[in-house]
Amino acid sequence: MLNRLTILKSFLWASVGVLAAVSVVRFTRGLGAVTNLSDASPWGLWIGFDVMAGVALAAGGFVMAATVYIFGLEKYRSCVRPAILTALLGYLAVAVGLLYDLGLPWNIWHPMIYWQHHSVLFEVAVCVMLYLTVLSLEFAPVVLEHPLFGRPIFQRILKFLRKVTIPLVIVGIVLSTLHQSSLGSLFLIAPARLHPLWYSSIIYVFYFISAIGLGLMMVVLEGLLSSYFFGHKVKKDLLPGVGMAASIVLWVYVVLRLVDLAVRGDLGMAFDGSWQSLLFLFELGMAAILPASLLLVRRIRSSITGMAICSSLTVLGMIGYRLNMSIVAFTRPEGWGYFPSWEEIAVSVGIVSCCILVFLFFVEHLKVYDEPAHVDPMKPSYDAATLHDLMPGEQASPRRYSLVAVMSAAVALLFLPVKGAETVRTPVSVPRMVEGYQVSRQAGDFHALAILGAEEWSQSAESPIPLLAINGNRDATLVLFNHAGHVDRQGGDESCRTCHHLDLPYDRNSSCFECHRDMYEPTALFDHSFHVQALEGNDGCTECHSDGSEVKSYETATACVECHRNPEGSGLILELPGSRWGDAVGYMDAMHGLCVTCHERNAREEPGRFADLLDRCDACHDADFSGMLEEMTPVRKISSNVVQGGH
Amino acid sequence: MTFDILLQWLRGPVFWAGLAFMVLGLGRHVAITVWGIIRSYRRAGDKTIPTRQVVSATLRWLFLTQGLKNRLLYGLNTLIFHISIILVPIFLAGHIALWERGIGLSWPALPNGLSTALTIIAVIAAVTIVIQRVVFRESRRLSRFQDFVMPLIVAIPFATGFLVMHPAWNPFSHQFMLFLHVLSGDLLFFLIPITKLSHMVLLPGTQIVSELAWHFPSESGSRVGEALGKANEPI
Repeated sequence: MLNRLTILKSFLWASVGVLAAVSVVRFTRGLGAVTNLSDASPWGLWIGFDVMAGVALAAGGFVMAATVYIFGLEKYRSCVRPAILTALLGYLAVAVGLLYDLGLPWNIWHPMIYWQHHSVLFEVAVCVMLYLTVLSLEFAPVVLEHPLFGRPIFQRILKFLRKVTIPLVIVGIVLSTLHQSSLGSLFLIAPARLHPLWYSSIIYVFYFISAIGLGLMMVVLEGLLSSYFFGHKVKKDLLPGVGMAASIVLWVYVVLRLVDLAVRGDLGMAFDGSWQSLLFLFELGMAAILPASLLLVRRIRSSITGMAICSSLTVLGMIGYRLNMSIVAFTRPEGWGYFPSWEEIAVSVGIVSCCILVFLFFVEHLKVYDEPAHVDPMKPSYDAATLHDLMPGEQASPRRYSLVAVMSAAVALLFLPVKGAETVRTPVSVPRMVEGYQVSRQAGDFHALAILGAEEWSQSAESPIPLLAINGNRDATLVLFNHAGHVDRQGGDESCRTCHHLDLPYDRNSSCFECHRDMYEPTALFDHSFHVQALEGNDGCTECHSDGSEVKSYETATACVECHRNPEGSGLILELPGSRWGDAVGYMDAMHGLCVTCHERNAREEPGRFADLLDRCDACHDADFSGMLEEMTPVRKISSNVVQGGH
Repeated sequence: MTFDILLQWLRGPVFWAGLAFMVLGLGRHVAITVWGIIRSYRRAGDKTIPTRQVVSATLRWLFLTQGLKNRLLYGLNTLIFHISIILVPIFLAGHIALWERGIGLSWPALPNGLSTALTIIAVIAAVTIVIQRVVFRESRRLSRFQDFVMPLIVAIPFATGFLVMHPAWNPFSHQFMLFLHVLSGDLLFFLIPITKLSHMVLLPGTQIVSELAWHFPSESGSRVGEALGKANEPI
């Protein structure tokens, strides 16, 4: 009951289900929700695999068409239809993969209208569009042969398409030559970012030749796979010819790449033992040298196992070549590594699965291969979801595959950020006490502050004083703050409540971070779990949620002040939140509100004393601090780079 | 609290996955059923369908009048059970508040007192339904394992939901009970398309399906003959 094909199709449908779930999140929440792409690595798996490798894998279409229609090797005619179908599906996968990768996918038609003829990408876009059209026309006769299209109008179209086969094939070869190589040319604008082992001024030649070799091997591999799954007989007499051709092409590719390295003087780099050199040798060996050498042996060329191994090596190796170019050997800033997220992998696998399912459907229903697909039509089967058993295969398979797809979509949703991208929390930390200097900054009662160790300042300064280093989110942009000075100016101990709330036990001053717990985002002030404990569990609920007929929510509960009487002191700068259950504003807004309000008032009321510095940003923030505070700990080690703060 | 993180997962991704599984799974059932009905009708030798009888039988079973006629007590019990389990989850004020917070949709709610009453009724009805199934020999013999178990599984979110709403009755911690409530609710989403609970969309089709089941393809008689090795003999 469970044969190879059923297992394969179940897996493919499962991938399609996952793809559906990921797609919903991708197109509703954007690239950031599902990918690991960043400004430093904007080209990820979708470009490296779906576009770069996808186009190359589809090269079999134009290679086989040229072989049969242009070079007249009629022997290989049976390979043309599967090769064209692979190419068509491969290019569809490229277009669909591009839709996922584009930030604004609805603008994909722009190259048709807005021509930028200096751009390599424009050439690729136009060629791919045109070639997709050509491939559809080349494959259309296979569809029109089906009895469903028996009407005379379809037959007339079919007759016309057969007549224009040769022109179509020629256009297809021209377009393929252009954009297969142009995909390599794309990298010519980034010579500094691509490792020398992969960069070359003739990348486009490598891309074109490797695509021919890969296309030949891909035709072999998929022929072998479809005979494995459909029980066809392999056409063994065709294998040696294709094998020899592939071997020659791959050798040309190997020699070109090595000679190019030698001419540029970088050949030594391939053997210096760095990870790049090992990767280069592994890639070149797997994609070309090993299969090309094996294919020289006649026994390997004519055996199914030998061809299966060689073609798999080339296919995987050439995919690796494309991935190395666009991801691995492409430099990124330190610390900006890229590895695809599972969602990216799922989309790539899902798109390929869709293509394989369409391929299988066409093989089963159209005359793609000479032999009819051997599908067992009426085997009884069992449906786990409805507990229906012993139904004919044609009824069982839609049930089985739809169940697999629905289940895998649900499982994928379990791990997707379906709740929506949550805000990134930036927790804040307590100010730290440091020693520093206070230096007169301008005439009047106004000082600049510097951390101890800033030599040029220590000359002119008095003895060190304790300062607060306020660095809420620890991003090295800190503000030095003379706490003692503020206490003096504001009027001694009585003035604490100007900045601090005094509602902690023993009248301790509550620190800013206890309420403003996030740097940028507002934070809920209310801790429900704490109150549940304080009110001793379930019996305490009615203390706040007294009306049983209402939904238990913030809005319907008793207000804080009903229990916490008189929490406010007089003379607060911060106003009480307007709504009953207001959130604490973010740390940055709170601190700015607290400091700037007072600074502006003082500057306004006593302009002579503070010059016109006090209400400016650089009263607290120095314009030159950038980048110098990463080495902030230990504080005393700071070199002549001066950390400045207002007051 | 350790349950907080689990609870967040259950209320977020698991809930959406379950809802998607239920909607897609039930859609799949409807699609397969409709496809099967069309297929059987096309192949049927006798294409006359007694539409009136089929429609009236469908309505009688859908609105339980047939069930009440057959077994009054059991029918009444299932009727109030169904009313409770359909109304409470959809029209509970607390659930509507969650929908409003999540996607901004809201609709009129039942008064909380009525919801509480219906919740208690649902739990009691679920238990008595199982008892009635076990006690009567005919229904016991017709029942599969899931016929006994599903009413009890359906009752779990109602029982835990009652305890969540009424903390004074709740012997365990509130968070734990909420966790159980959401977990059992999510579990139901996943069970609906793969158990008898899918009758919520399949019930309207049952009468036409069983009617069509007796409309054999015109060539089936001769095929039976072939299968028995008695081709071309009079049946």
